[in-house]
Amino acid sequence: MEMGRAIEDEVRALLRSRTLLAPGPALAEEVRLGAGGLGLDSISLVEVLLDCERRFGLPPLIDLLEGPPLTVGRLIEAVRAAVVEDGRVTR
Amino acid sequence: MNRDTGRQVFDALERRLSLLAPARPRLALSGSQVLGQLRNRISRRWPSPVQIQTLFPTLDRRAAERIAWRIGGIEACNRVLVDCIRRAGIGPVRPLIRMSAAALSALRPPLLLGTFHVGAVHALEPALEQLPGPVLALRHGPLHTAAPPLEIVSTEGDEQRRAAVFHRALTHLLQGGGFVVLALDVVPGIGLQVPCLGRTIELARGPFALARLTGAPLVPLVARWRRSGVEVLTGEPLDPRETEPTLDAAVDPTAWESALAAATARWLERYLQGAPAELGLGLLRSLLSSSS
Repeated sequence: MEMGRAIEDEVRALLRSRTLLAPGPALAEEVRLGAGGLGLDSISLVEVLLDCERRFGLPPLIDLLEGPPLTVGRLIEAVRAAVVEDGRVTR
Repeated sequence: MNRDTGRQVFDALERRLSLLAPARPRLALSGSQVLGQLRNRISRRWPSPVQIQTLFPTLDRRAAERIAWRIGGIEACNRVLVDCIRRAGIGPVRPLIRMSAAALSALRPPLLLGTFHVGAVHALEPALEQLPGPVLALRHGPLHTAAPPLEIVSTEGDEQRRAAVFHRALTHLLQGGGFVVLALDVVPGIGLQVPCLGRTIELARGPFALARLTGAPLVPLVARWRRSGVEVLTGEPLDPRETEPTLDAAVDPTAWESALAAATARWLERYLQGAPAELGLGLLRSLLSSSS
């Protein structure tokens, strides 16, 4: 549980660094990364995924770009699931 | 004959040439070039000699007129070519393409090939089929379905859809060791403003970000209409450190991308100063509407 929380915090910190958001209240899970939310453009969206892949040593997270708009919550959940699948932590 | 009637006559003749193009591409395309030149000569519009002189001030009035006619011809030729590809695919265009085997073999993946809206840009595909490796071409609205080793992916859609395409290109370069071909100018999405021909041009940021993130060289790729067909040319790899040798992509990614964009615009400027008639109308409009 502690590791899951740490992952969540790190993903939020990566998002903040890409969007240059000042430290403050936690980013709500339903906030979109793109239009109507954090406003990341296509290149920044990919760079956020690359940040996560590199930070946690994950395979490509490209599937997150398919389907509904990517949100903070979906990104955290995907990273957490990929780390769990990798066998480094348990939920 | 008033302006509307004249336009209708030229449009009708161009449509006939478009119908002829799949069966007789050489004849239809050279005919459309002559027709386009005549159209510009009569209308003296898009481009006008004055517009040409705005971008190429060293040209005298007579030379600017000739360049304007030739641009009109190339535009008509490109319209017929696009229509031909939509109707019959790339097959009829293949015999028209000339690219030296040495130039082709010199291109080694992973490599980014950047195109501009100049010359016979829509005729590049047959050259891409001959590249020594898998090719991923990004295009805003593909004209037809390509066959392996060439794959064309549309960049149409919202930011997330474009992000998926960008990620795909990134993986293609990093893991597939292939070629990625994409337009550098007149594209949707965020851009980088750089000087060109005394004006400002907006280049797509994506290619420069791809070059930075993958380390793949970016090489300009252009095609020119010639009497015998289409000649495909490549430039030397573009260098972001051309004017700022100490630039480091890891330290200042934004400055590195901007410097590569500036080097790209300088290459385009040199190319167009040597061949002003290659300037496409979309790029011309973009340059003329920008600040000087």
